Amino acid sequence: MAVSTIYSTQALNSTHFLTSSSSSKQVFLYRRQPQTNRRFNTLITCSQETIVIGLAADSGCGKSTFMRRLTSVFGGAAKPPKGGNPDSNTLISDTTTVICLDDYHSLDRYGRKEQKVTALDPRANDFDLMYEQVKALKSGVAVEKPIYNHVTGLLDPPELIQPPKILVIEGLHPMFDERVRDLLDFSIYLDISNEVKFAWKIQRDMAERGHSLESIKASIEARKPDFDAFIDPQKQYADAVIEVLPTQLIPDDNEGKVLRVRLIMKEGVKYFSPVYLFDEGSTISWIPCGRKLTCSYPGIKFNYEPDSYFDHEVSVLEMDGQFDRLDELIYVESHLSNLSTKFYGEVTQQMLKHADFPGSNNGTGLFQTIVGLKIRDLYEQLIANKATARAEAAKA
Amino acid sequence: MMMMMSAAASHVRVVLPLHQQRRTISIGSEIFRLSQTEPRRFKLTIATNVTAKYKGTKMREEKLSEMIEEKVKEATEVCDTDERSEECRVAWDEVEEVSQARSDLRIKLKLLNQDPLESFWQENPETDECRVYQD
Repeated sequence: MAVSTIYSTQALNSTHFLTSSSSSKQVFLYRRQPQTNRRFNTLITCSQETIVIGLAADSGCGKSTFMRRLTSVFGGAAKPPKGGNPDSNTLISDTTTVICLDDYHSLDRYGRKEQKVTALDPRANDFDLMYEQVKALKSGVAVEKPIYNHVTGLLDPPELIQPPKILVIEGLHPMFDERVRDLLDFSIYLDISNEVKFAWKIQRDMAERGHSLESIKASIEARKPDFDAFIDPQKQYADAVIEVLPTQLIPDDNEGKVLRVRLIMKEGVKYFSPVYLFDEGSTISWIPCGRKLTCSYPGIKFNYEPDSYFDHEVSVLEMDGQFDRLDELIYVESHLSNLSTKFYGEVTQQMLKHADFPGSNNGTGLFQTIVGLKIRDLYEQLIANKATARAEAAKA
Repeated sequence: MMMMMSAAASHVRVVLPLHQQRRTISIGSEIFRLSQTEPRRFKLTIATNVTAKYKGTKMREEKLSEMIEEKVKEATEVCDTDERSEECRVAWDEVEEVSQARSDLRIKLKLLNQDPLESFWQENPETDECRVYQD
């Protein structure tokens, strides 16, 4: 691995970090230091900044859609590591590596059965190892990460993970351990309401011959105590919470097809400026369908307001309903502010790219895409900041 | 055996992006100009016929489906005696884990449009799991 110290002049602000080219090689100019008594390192280090994003949700690492949207915003398609264990849970793209926290189970399926703990229980997870490895990756050191095989239920031999630009840790407990929490540059919690969870699990499992409506219901009920005790409390630590609820536009809807999605954004987070509608900090209720835009039933409704969430100041952007056509999406996008897009229509373009993903026509897809753009923005700001800090240090 | 996922698939309305549309998005423009009057709307049922290509993937699919059946039976039995016991919770957790794994495999096949063993095959063409599956 090439090792080089990077000095950047004041004029060079690294704004071109995430281009569409597959490997962006940074060219830095460096100023030769005047001869002083201080001995400068002849050893040059090419340090790469790694940011760590935490994503918490139920059901282990089934957040493939979110992950793929996220990685797509950063550029490149996320794929499993080439040639390695086919049951690996890791996804790697040019800029991003996604690690499934199930890999840090200290007890495999048989161990858990023996000790009578579920996967949700912290006793089944090795937080020390999680902390060490995330810390190592963050500081640019490759790690040998264990693999938890979901098919066999065993812990497989480890795989080598190189430190990426953006590291995403997804799973049940990204924010559970305080040390790991401190390493996170941004954290997201996917909060699915019970009714929607039930509807989604029915969609997921009804095709399986082993399942019935009763078994799905029983499974959700049995999980509740552990979920409420260990997973749910993490949402107070999240910088952004995506809450998915049943729609209010259709009375007595229990199909779970039309969704009401709320993006709860914490105020005062470094490098993160919440999205807003029309006027920051005010309360807005907006139905875009009318004279300029015709929508089909049940239409779209937006809400924006400041609020308090677990004693934190937050801004909440809410979308109820679904998109039917391209121009509805672009219309909505043109009225939202602080999206951190690089060009007009970027959100729409990203949504179109993955039009076949679930949630592409409602708030889940929209807010997942927006969160992706926010993380990209956070990354670029962080890099720019570190570059100027280093420039200052080099001058001193 | 074709993978009939329509039972579990959702009807997706896909708006196909026309090539011209992208070029008409101009920065700062208020009016989004479409080169056609109305984008065409399609309703697709993703009853995919992306089947497992490699024997290994087929094996995994079948194994997971079997395990779901087994574990649901087991969990129902265990929970019959005591609904609130730890054994009951663990049993249903296993069902959830295996159901999710099954679903993930299905999603991988559907979204990636490729068999997850594809890259494994490229490095290890000799292994038994990489024999091409033929129905």
